[in-house]
Amino acid sequence: MTSPASSSEVKYLIESSEGNTFDVSGAALRQSNTFNAMFLNIGADGPIPFTDYNEATLKKVFEYCEHSVNEENYSGPKHQDDLSKWDLNFFNEMDQKMFIDVINASNFLDIERLTSYCCERIARMLRGKNTQEMIKVITLPTAEELEAKQKVEEKKAAAAKKVAEKAAETAEKTETLEELPVQQLVQTTRNKLTRKYLSFSNE
Amino acid sequence: MSPSFPLLRLPGVVLSDVFKSLDIEEKFKLSLCSKRISTQINNARLYSQNVIVDLCGLYQKIEVSSENNKDTFYILNFYECGARNNPDIHQYRIEERTVPVFSSGIGITLFWKNLREGFLFVLRYLLKIFQCKFSIKNICNTYLFENTISELLDLQLEFKKLSICFNLLKNQHLLWNQVSNKLGLVEDLEILSGSGFRPVFTSWPQEISITGSDWFTLEYLLECTCTTISLGGSLLENKDLDETLRKWKTGGFPNLKCLKINSQSIETTGTTILGMRLLELSGKVIQTDDGSKKATIDIGNGRIEMYVTSF
Repeated sequence: MTSPASSSEVKYLIESSEGNTFDVSGAALRQSNTFNAMFLNIGADGPIPFTDYNEATLKKVFEYCEHSVNEENYSGPKHQDDLSKWDLNFFNEMDQKMFIDVINASNFLDIERLTSYCCERIARMLRGKNTQEMIKVITLPTAEELEAKQKVEEKKAAAAKKVAEKAAETAEKTETLEELPVQQLVQTTRNKLTRKYLSFSNE
Repeated sequence: MSPSFPLLRLPGVVLSDVFKSLDIEEKFKLSLCSKRISTQINNARLYSQNVIVDLCGLYQKIEVSSENNKDTFYILNFYECGARNNPDIHQYRIEERTVPVFSSGIGITLFWKNLREGFLFVLRYLLKIFQCKFSIKNICNTYLFENTISELLDLQLEFKKLSICFNLLKNQHLLWNQVSNKLGLVEDLEILSGSGFRPVFTSWPQEISITGSDWFTLEYLLECTCTTISLGGSLLENKDLDETLRKWKTGGFPNLKCLKINSQSIETTGTTILGMRLLELSGKVIQTDDGSKKATIDIGNGRIEMYVTSF
């Protein structure tokens, strides 16, 4: 839905995943290549549904777009040190979850400037670090930790297999002596143990 | 915001942008973090920086630099001897092998049980991270990489610079047979051949520089399609230069930008070139007959240089 004012004052209604709507200026929206490709020429009769993203995220993204409306045309990635005080505040006040949501929304809306600044900010977390430090930053287990984990799992699986084999052996001995209902009981026990062994192996 | 960040939760396109923001050494180090990260870096390879991989010393030192030379790092390969017990050395996966790795100010050191095998694994690994062109700048290193050169060319990999010193090779014919029909993959070929070996050309690199080019005949020169031709120790004479320049004037050597010939047989009192005595040519600007190109001639003692510019 657009208001019939001059082109710079045109407002669009945006719909979020909660079904809420809010206004965004045409000038801000035009920073989104996705919007330009989908709605710029044909216009929108009702709210524009960006319903994969919540209201808070979309508002944050368009807050950035509204702010950069009057900035010079985007000319490639800027170094983090060149960011303005406003830009730095904008990023600093986001928690990690919001930051990831903003990157995803900015990527979908194809807002080059915002996406590029977000990427630069992530790159900065990795800059000047060695692999071990990078692993900590990107929250991955180290090769040693993976190796240790694998050893523990192998040990667990071997122990479980041993228990299962022993139980099956005992059950077989009992099987020959007992009557049919008991044999059924043994079979049930064996099945249970086998399942337990398998679940150990798959952990 | 927290100092840690779940990088792999980002969409591939965004990850690719993050990788582009890192310098080449950081990207290499990041690729070692996990298989999933290295797969993502591999997926984004086509959008990655172009790098020149210079093979400096036998299997041991690899210089990786960005094409604009702004960024350089070294990979050093060593034999693995007790490397696993050093607390500063960590194990990472490279080409499906667990490799002890040590990072320091001078570069990234990798430890291998088999150095040659490790060296080839590193090259393959680099090819997955970057768009690589190879380079052997030091002509004395040819014999070290005799096998590697042909292996890389067999994989259709490009060389930014390839220096071959035939004097140092055990089997000159073998290497040349493997290289000569793949010279289209070589940007800049430097040859030193003073041992009587006469390479036969079946294709041409973009640029060629030959030291000791007494075997490089006029016929070869007239066939050469390189943009830069530099011949040292040539035996070409004034009449050969006359024929060469006449061919250029009538539209021959369409790619030529620079021709440099050093020859004892270029004489100031010899046959005229384009109807002029040698010294008369000095500083002259000549044109192709169709007027599409001009060239400036520079003359020295036993030397002629020609620099072509288009109109």
